[in-house]
Amino acid sequence: MAERPEPADAELVHAVVARDDRGAFALLVRRHQSMVRSVLRRLAKGDHGLADDLAQETFLLAWRNLASFRHDARFSTWLYRIAFNAWLSEARKRREVLLDDPGEAPVTELADPKLPDPARLDLERAVASLPDGERAAIAACYYADLTHEEAAKALGIPLGTVKTHILRAKARLRARLGEEKP
Amino acid sequence: MMNEQANDPLERLLREDARRAVPDQGFSVRVALALPGAPRPWLRPALVAASAAIGSVAAWLLAPAGTSLLQGFLDLARLQSQTPSALTAIALALAMAVTAAVLVAEEN
Repeated sequence: MAERPEPADAELVHAVVARDDRGAFALLVRRHQSMVRSVLRRLAKGDHGLADDLAQETFLLAWRNLASFRHDARFSTWLYRIAFNAWLSEARKRREVLLDDPGEAPVTELADPKLPDPARLDLERAVASLPDGERAAIAACYYADLTHEEAAKALGIPLGTVKTHILRAKARLRARLGEEKP
Repeated sequence: MMNEQANDPLERLLREDARRAVPDQGFSVRVALALPGAPRPWLRPALVAASAAIGSVAAWLLAPAGTSLLQGFLDLARLQSQTPSALTAIALALAMAVTAAVLVAEEN
């Protein structure tokens, strides 16, 4: 007997909005928890406890605001925006976050084309050491799998700044990971 | 450009790290329980079972002296359904049947 295909995100969202279907929402949470928690772990500099608290807040906000989801973007992109704003608001409680600051160090000074054995690298620690804007751009473009345009929209910064952040972040990561070579 | 990216060790490392799934480890359940107005699935069956237990104890305490559940079942076996003991046994059986029906309905 053929298995019933998994319902698409749009169907599940409709079920939640129309029928208050908690089962459908649970499926959405199970489907997207990994992306949301992974992004938030990067944004929270590897603090898994804080990341999970923010991830829970993200899904609760999504539950409350699901009726406002207009299907003009992927559900995961919409969820990412909520997660990012939850982190931003938490980060602002602690200190000012500058997403639009491209930084001062020239990219060429940081670039190191050679990387040691990836198995020995602590990427999470290296990403945690990035400035907020660069870390947010890396989290959006790699861990939430957004395009540069989607990331710019979600982060509320110009497209050029996202590209600069990614470029600088990668240069810093190469330098940082290169330093960890034994 | 795409080949360049695919051959970049950092690019590959980031992509691989991003693809690594975070195990759920009860996270989805915690979210479900934290939803506003989340139903507590254990509450209703617990209330029904507790009400049935209290009702049975009250019936046993208030039953006329000399009434015994065992005697009630013996009376029923002898087709004597009008004795106080038999009526107590019938009441208890009915209470248990209603409780079971409610619990089965909750389960479904």
